[in-house]
Amino acid sequence: MTPNYELSSCTNIHMKVPPLSVAHSTIHLINRFMVLIAWCLIFSLGFSAKAQAEDEKDADYNTHGRHATATHSGSYEAPLPVELSTDPDLCAYVPCSDVFPNADYFSSRKGRPAYVEAYRSKKVEDKENGHHTQDESRVLLGYVFLSTDIVDIPAYSGKPVVTLMGMDVSGKIVGVKVLKHSEPILLVGIPERELTKFIKQFVGKHAWDKLEIGKARAEGGYIGIDAISGATVTVISENQVVMRCAYEIAKQVGIIKAVPRPQAEFTSISEQRNWDELLAEGSIQHLTVSPADVGLDNTSQPYIDLYFGYLNAPAIGRSILGERNYAGLMAELKPNEHAVFIVANGAASFKGSGFVRGGIYDRIQVSQDMDSFTFRDTDYRNLYNIQAVGAPEFNESGIFIIRSASFSAAYPWSLVFLGNKMDRQTGTKTFANFDREYWLQSRYLQGGRPVIIKSDPVWLKIWKSRIKEIVGFISILIFTATIYARRDNLVRRSNRKDKRWVSIPKYAIWMTSIGFIGFGLMAQPSITQVLTWFHSMLFQWKWELFLSDPFIFIFWLFIILTVFVWGRGLFCGWMCPFGSLTELLYKIAEKVGLKRFQFIPSNAVHERLKWLKYGIFLVLLIVSFFSMGLAEKLAEVEPFKTTFLVGLFNRSWPYTLFTATLLGLSLFTERPFCKYLCPLGAALAMPTTFRWFGLKRKQECTSCTACAKGCGSQAIDHKGVIDHRECLLCLDCMVLYYDDHACPPLSKERKLRTLSGLPLTRISAGGYYIPIHPINEKGVDK
Amino acid sequence: MNPNINNNAPTYAHVSGIKWVVCEIIDHLWPWNKEGWRQHKAIETAGMALAIAATVAWLLAANRQLGASAVIGWWLGWSIYEIIIRMQCKPYIKDGPWWRHNYRPASRMDMFCYVMFKNLLIGVILFSVLRNLGLLQMVD
Repeated sequence: MTPNYELSSCTNIHMKVPPLSVAHSTIHLINRFMVLIAWCLIFSLGFSAKAQAEDEKDADYNTHGRHATATHSGSYEAPLPVELSTDPDLCAYVPCSDVFPNADYFSSRKGRPAYVEAYRSKKVEDKENGHHTQDESRVLLGYVFLSTDIVDIPAYSGKPVVTLMGMDVSGKIVGVKVLKHSEPILLVGIPERELTKFIKQFVGKHAWDKLEIGKARAEGGYIGIDAISGATVTVISENQVVMRCAYEIAKQVGIIKAVPRPQAEFTSISEQRNWDELLAEGSIQHLTVSPADVGLDNTSQPYIDLYFGYLNAPAIGRSILGERNYAGLMAELKPNEHAVFIVANGAASFKGSGFVRGGIYDRIQVSQDMDSFTFRDTDYRNLYNIQAVGAPEFNESGIFIIRSASFSAAYPWSLVFLGNKMDRQTGTKTFANFDREYWLQSRYLQGGRPVIIKSDPVWLKIWKSRIKEIVGFISILIFTATIYARRDNLVRRSNRKDKRWVSIPKYAIWMTSIGFIGFGLMAQPSITQVLTWFHSMLFQWKWELFLSDPFIFIFWLFIILTVFVWGRGLFCGWMCPFGSLTELLYKIAEKVGLKRFQFIPSNAVHERLKWLKYGIFLVLLIVSFFSMGLAEKLAEVEPFKTTFLVGLFNRSWPYTLFTATLLGLSLFTERPFCKYLCPLGAALAMPTTFRWFGLKRKQECTSCTACAKGCGSQAIDHKGVIDHRECLLCLDCMVLYYDDHACPPLSKERKLRTLSGLPLTRISAGGYYIPIHPINEKGVDK
Repeated sequence: MNPNINNNAPTYAHVSGIKWVVCEIIDHLWPWNKEGWRQHKAIETAGMALAIAATVAWLLAANRQLGASAVIGWWLGWSIYEIIIRMQCKPYIKDGPWWRHNYRPASRMDMFCYVMFKNLLIGVILFSVLRNLGLLQMVD
């Protein structure tokens, strides 16, 4: 067979056509490409013009909202001074006036956690000379504080969003500025004005307000603030950061008054226990921080290895201190005062090397719900030895007294070790806290432990808030998997001319994938998630990171499962929103008269181009080990964010042009991005090598390439072998496999049987008619 | 079924039960075979040297003298070597479900995918064990 001059149709009709002249075919080819380029240009220019117009609109918007825009532009991985977290003069390093425009003087850092005071100088008009003079006295306007001085709440990237905030003396937030973030979606996905709009929502709110992302709940006095679509985790985290910081500072400076908690009543149990028993029952808690946790090299000893417990409970106090010391301590304590013992070993000191008499212990604090309690030197008592039998030796020990009615031992509380984590690359230190919860055993509390309704973790809140969509999404995935699992039934009912049994469910899934999964849920999987996986597997696995986006999490479970069972084709060919969109465009173009311009790249070209996507994937993978930020930027080779997350007209023109070109090209050739550029497809193609169940082939497939000619993904080679890494499971070849009018060997057998007058039996799983065996009179197979 | 499948299966393909599982594990972990050793002695020797170098890298890493990048670099280097040597010594991969005994001749891409994926899994297990034992510090 000479492939250039013989058209082998799937109906087993071989038609000889005269050879085309070289000149004619060249002109035909040039024509085709000219039309293609023209279409692409029209599309690209159209999209680019729209994008440019949008950019200009943005520019106008930004002119009006200059301050808000200026508060965070260029904040992605923005370098911050190393001294920022330690220097007393905070405002020498960050523009405090941006968050407190009316202030003209800022104090040095005060308090624990730290804040600076914002003042305005009194101006007195000199009536004689007609100009203003500045009086030495100043008016306190409010406070400015840095989020990393107060909380340690990571965002989607696992790193904190470093935020500067201003709050006036009444507790009203007057300014918020993001100094630095590591959120990739805010770098390349979400436009700047979305972040501006989000940040501005905090201005005017009070430190005690309860803000919730999305629509506010009817009960509980919550105030709803608008989220940023596609960056849910980031905004939930930022909401926590801003409101928690404002609350902490407002409480410290006296704007929010302490609310007393019901105090614990202890049972009469006073039997003394040994160290191990106390540890086992949870009356002593253990907190370990390794050097790696604070960005240092691991050594043979931990950074700090700390044990602590609550001493007011008679059984615990007597066990730790002994009868006499316990009685002495209790006699000293006034009502609403609580004693906690801390002992530790390790390289670091929990008392803090910078501690001086009269100062504050800056390495430890106790937190209970939103309240935190720090210790001064007057709150400290020596702890010379531990009476509990079996207690190990410790380098450091001490008793600390909490003096507040807001603290209650009946409720859970945490001991917080406050550390500084050093970034190895930049040398900058950021605030990091390590805590361990403590809750007195119910046997020591009269009436047992009170019922506590703990707030859900962030990821669980997201799952609960989107439960209906999650159920719908899972249903779609199950439906798709079920349809594909029953592919044998579908392809048997279809034939080369009528594929509706396969096409209808597939097209329905495509439409759902584009509309619901892509544009609706924005659950387009991306290569960046694969890179994050690699890093997490090798460095540190964080379930919260993956659970934070329920749709992506569920989608990936589905993808992993189906890749190993059937190969990547089920996701890439049936479920990928962008893949579905491009193939749908191709099908629509075919129906609206563009078929004559549509083409399939030659096998030679295809065989070369298909390696491109593997190269892109490997480059991204290698780059990611050196700079995840750069890999994220390079991952823009995927047009997914432009198409689904941000919108074609919400990005700068190069992104729009690139995506529009790919979509335009998809009108003329099937899935050009999927076949040649998609790094995600390449990443999934590799494990597809080990798929369990592939597509069926016959012995004749080695010489007959009828199905290869109709293979849109060009996954069948000249030997009839299907490359499952390239196969998108369109099932066209499987339709042919059972079609006795299209599959050449089967058609041949049909003709032979018809000529011989033999019945056409059912086609077996092997792709042939079930053999007819003559039987004797007794019904025994001869 | 792959119509081009041939008898390029390993010698243990027809063994069954636990013995087959053991042979499979050895086959995944040991890329060489006797025939390959005889035919490609120079490559084998280089391979052994590389294996030793990789082991040294692991020991250095255990002593915290190698960063993550260097360990991953060694891992990548070893994987590339393994692809080459397997194409010489064991040029086949599993076809279909892992519990079946079907094998097919491996193309270069097949072998690349197999070795990289297998070594990724082995790497993850090794990294996790070493990290949990406190012998390796991987800072992202």
